[in-house]
Amino acid sequence: MWPTLRRLLTLWKGEWRSVALGLACALAYTVLSLAIPILLQRAIDNAIVPKHGDPLLPYVAAAMALGLLRFGVNFTRRYATARIGVHIEARMRELLYRAYLQFPRAFFDRHPTGQVVSRATNDLFPIRYFIGWGMVQGIQSVLMIVGAGIVLGFVNAKLTLITALSVPPIGLVAWLFAHRVMPISRRVQVRKGDVTEAADEAVVGIEMVQAFGREDDVRARFTDKAEQVRDVVIEQAGVEARHLPGLFFLPSLSIAAVVFFGGRDVIAGNLSIGQFVLFNTILLQLAWPLESLGWIVNLAQRALASAGRSFAWIEQIDRLPEPASPAALPRGPQPIEFENVRFAYGDEEEVLRGVDLRVEPGEIVAVCGPTGSGKTSLLNLAARFYDPTAGRVLIGGVDLRDASLEDVRSAVSVVTQRPILFSVPLRDNLTIGRPDAAWDEVLAAAAAAGVAAFVDDLPQGYDTLIGERGVNLSGGQRQRVALARALLSGSGAIVLDDPLSAVDTETERTLVETVRPALLGRTVLVATQRLSTVSIADRAVVLRDGCVAEEGSPAELAAAGGDFTALFGDETIAA
Amino acid sequence: MPHSRRTGLGRLSAYLQGKRMQVLTMVLVATGQAAAQTGGWLLVRAAIDNGIAKGDSRYLSVIVVIYLCVGAAGWVMSAILIRGLAGLGQGIVLGLRSDLFVHLTSLSLRYFSEQRAGWIIARLTSDVDALSDALSQGLPTLAANVVLLPTAIVAVFIVDWRLGMIAFIVLPPALILTRWFQRASSVAQLEVRERIATVTAHMAESISGMAIVQAFNRERAFQAEFDGYNLANRAANVRTQTLLSVFFPSIELLGLTSSAAVMLLGAHLYGEGEITIGTLITAMYLLQLVFQPLQELSDVYGQLQSAAAAMIKISSVLDAEPDIGDRPGAEPMPPIEGHLELDDIRFAYGDNEVLHGVSVDMPAGGCLALVGQSGGGKSTLAKLIARFYDPTSGAVRVDDIDLRDVQLGSYRRQLGVVLQDPFLFSGTIADNIRFARPDATDEQVRETAAAVGVDRIAARLHGGLDHQVHEGGAGLSAGERQLISIARALLADPRILILDEATSNIDRPTEIQIERALDRLLRGRTSVIIAHRLATVRRADEILVVDHGRVIQRGTEHELLAEDGPFRRLAHDLRAV
Repeated sequence: MWPTLRRLLTLWKGEWRSVALGLACALAYTVLSLAIPILLQRAIDNAIVPKHGDPLLPYVAAAMALGLLRFGVNFTRRYATARIGVHIEARMRELLYRAYLQFPRAFFDRHPTGQVVSRATNDLFPIRYFIGWGMVQGIQSVLMIVGAGIVLGFVNAKLTLITALSVPPIGLVAWLFAHRVMPISRRVQVRKGDVTEAADEAVVGIEMVQAFGREDDVRARFTDKAEQVRDVVIEQAGVEARHLPGLFFLPSLSIAAVVFFGGRDVIAGNLSIGQFVLFNTILLQLAWPLESLGWIVNLAQRALASAGRSFAWIEQIDRLPEPASPAALPRGPQPIEFENVRFAYGDEEEVLRGVDLRVEPGEIVAVCGPTGSGKTSLLNLAARFYDPTAGRVLIGGVDLRDASLEDVRSAVSVVTQRPILFSVPLRDNLTIGRPDAAWDEVLAAAAAAGVAAFVDDLPQGYDTLIGERGVNLSGGQRQRVALARALLSGSGAIVLDDPLSAVDTETERTLVETVRPALLGRTVLVATQRLSTVSIADRAVVLRDGCVAEEGSPAELAAAGGDFTALFGDETIAA
Repeated sequence: MPHSRRTGLGRLSAYLQGKRMQVLTMVLVATGQAAAQTGGWLLVRAAIDNGIAKGDSRYLSVIVVIYLCVGAAGWVMSAILIRGLAGLGQGIVLGLRSDLFVHLTSLSLRYFSEQRAGWIIARLTSDVDALSDALSQGLPTLAANVVLLPTAIVAVFIVDWRLGMIAFIVLPPALILTRWFQRASSVAQLEVRERIATVTAHMAESISGMAIVQAFNRERAFQAEFDGYNLANRAANVRTQTLLSVFFPSIELLGLTSSAAVMLLGAHLYGEGEITIGTLITAMYLLQLVFQPLQELSDVYGQLQSAAAAMIKISSVLDAEPDIGDRPGAEPMPPIEGHLELDDIRFAYGDNEVLHGVSVDMPAGGCLALVGQSGGGKSTLAKLIARFYDPTSGAVRVDDIDLRDVQLGSYRRQLGVVLQDPFLFSGTIADNIRFARPDATDEQVRETAAAVGVDRIAARLHGGLDHQVHEGGAGLSAGERQLISIARALLADPRILILDEATSNIDRPTEIQIERALDRLLRGRTSVIIAHRLATVRRADEILVVDHGRVIQRGTEHELLAEDGPFRRLAHDLRAV
């Protein structure tokens, strides 16, 4: 908890002007809020009660003047502190997003998108409320309680002591409340997370849910999670019900004490009626500061818990290591070498068990193999999405771990198995790897990858907005856009992961002819399940059980009667 | 529309039906609590006027004891109120959340393709949570103070009507101020919701596309774009906070003005001997009770506002009409034989017609294959057969029954659907295979897995079939996800099987294994296959070549190869390899 608080305070310090202003205003507000009742007390004792006392108007005017001042102070305090909260929330979000951009693929494999998003959105709200309201309000509440004690102490020390008797039980109740509500509010957060997960899955997987008519199952599961949230929130309310009214009732013990003991003092002439009023007024003013303390403690716990989770991600997730003085990757087409490469995801079984492969500069190599044989993993290593568990991956003779990530990634373009497009115009989707590409180069890449063939069917051609708010392209069309993007990027190496799997055969035939010339002069690795795609390669390798089992030109392999023939045999014979 | 759109509050109160007694109890308890609070101050007046002013300590003691009892009663009522309102509030939240979910899951795929997934999920989670927070934390404060406010005002008038009149000269400005604040802040809150939605959407998109963002070194550009949204959101939040910062100090100032007015008039009346000092003092305390609630409301007001904004968004989902639903009086689908008939089907997404009259008649147990260019309408046809959509004109009939005349669930439960990019749920591989038939035994799951080759990929994963899959199937390759989803469809023992490019990322030998398994396990079942590999569609009884929403060629492989047409061109291309 303390390290989290320290980190939050560091962010707080960044806003020190607003913090100083907020705290100064909290102090001023307290002083004014205590001064106004004192003025009214004087008014009662000196102007109202005596038959021929002071004129009342100056007292009231002074109180109003202080009231106006308090208005300004209160506004400034609220504005300044709210601003801090909003700013720190934005800052935390920025830090998280910045970290996300650097996280390795392994992180996103393990964490569902919904969780990653909510950590940087909903989870931050308690932090905003705590920093933007709770912290300074808490300080102000304490100031008010202490200030009230001092003022009342000066008026009548004995009566103050008697009324203060209710302070220790109030403190105890507040502490007990905080202590008991903490574990429950943590459970509330966990249960809410479960609901988010259930909602996320059902919405993203709705097609499957509807396809199999399993709506009732997912509804039952969702309702079950929602009921668990309800139960634990009600449990939390139970704890609140047992403690919070105490915070509210115990001060009235003090008022009773004032009425009884103070009243006797007034009768005895030891206390003026104005002072009697002052005691009650100030006690009445303490009700909200006392009640708010309970809320603030609760809020603080939620804020610290969520800040703790966020900081854990910002600071403790391992990025892919980058060398202090990176070696420069040579430009132009370079060989890609895999030297005895082994790889496993996390602590799972090894996917690659000693792959040795050299792709010559400008060579196109097809990577084949049955489902799960490690094709995608091999390609991912070439783009350094992961590091091998043993062995080396080299481009132009440089171990990828010795180069900077940025360098590696501008040297290698990728087309992922599931094509990823963004909700921006088609044009921007194509130029994402090279925003300054000349327009005729864009057109050339679009033509080679078969984007040009369907672009005229789109409502605004290359300016058509893609994605959920724009046009939904078919799987094959998306793949072609992803391919054009990689062709356009101008990198020396290209890694294509089953780039035409969703493209129809007729289009594929055209593409096979146009893509090969567009790839010439670059070192290319292409994983595929399709014989037609293999045909663009100079050489094919077959992976089996995480090792290279066979290699040679597609024609040689097809005739060899080995793994390759087994993979594609009936396709070659069938046609 | 049969009934008018219900407002947010109307929707929420609908969940209180049948809980009239509880609501009534809460109103009574809240009133009792308010009465206890105001009554306390009336007792103080009695203590001042009859005890202190007259020097009667015995009377004072009696009043103090009564005061304490009233306070204790207030304590108990407050506890009941907090607990009771939480029960009611959470009942509303649960009802709303379930209804929202049920409604969502009954909307057609059209809705899901038009809305971002992140946007929909936010309705179920952060919006409902905003409502829940407002109900569980805001409601007790709100309920207590909303009742306290009029009670305290009434009490001031009871104490002395003239003081009451003068005290509430501030009421008109207070009302005007409140009205202004409500308008301004609801506009500002709506902007906040829009901004945070943009932030969330951008974040969700870049996280799911992170591989490409990183691969093309676009981190800085994305960071810059995100910073823009983040700052806009920050500015919108600062604006709402500014409004709050003006409003509540203003109320505080009005409260003081009111007290000052009471003091001036009260002092005069006291000087004239019209009222006692106790009356004057009590009137001022009661005013504090009037303005204190406004102060407290200040800190829950933000919550209430965002709950109201959340409710607007939630309503927009609840108001979306399901365009696929059971007709009144729809019968359950009897066990399917499998005679599939498409009768001159036309279908449009919006104004854009993508199928222009397609007819098919496939006897039970037949295999229909759809081939042709991507975007030609094959997947749409498959989705119409699965009744994800209803055709714009024409009919889909199974065993001579129009699909629109049967209960959707009873039909879909007899289907097996495998899509090109299948979704896996978090859980084990076995759970995913069991998805469509939760009561399948472990043995059945194992057999099905072995039949299509899932056992082979499971072998390299920890725990085998009990390996935990992350949501969406991250960590598994596309081919592996396809294999698992085929096992899922197979275990469902469907009467009609629809494979939409279901094996595009699977190697041919494994595909052959799958075909054999399908032939063995689903003998005599009707199937619809969309595929690009020629070898995959060879076994179909009828192949349709679909192009631009029309069937341009149909027949068996032999017949089609015999004709000089598009199919032969396709086949020729493959042979050339």
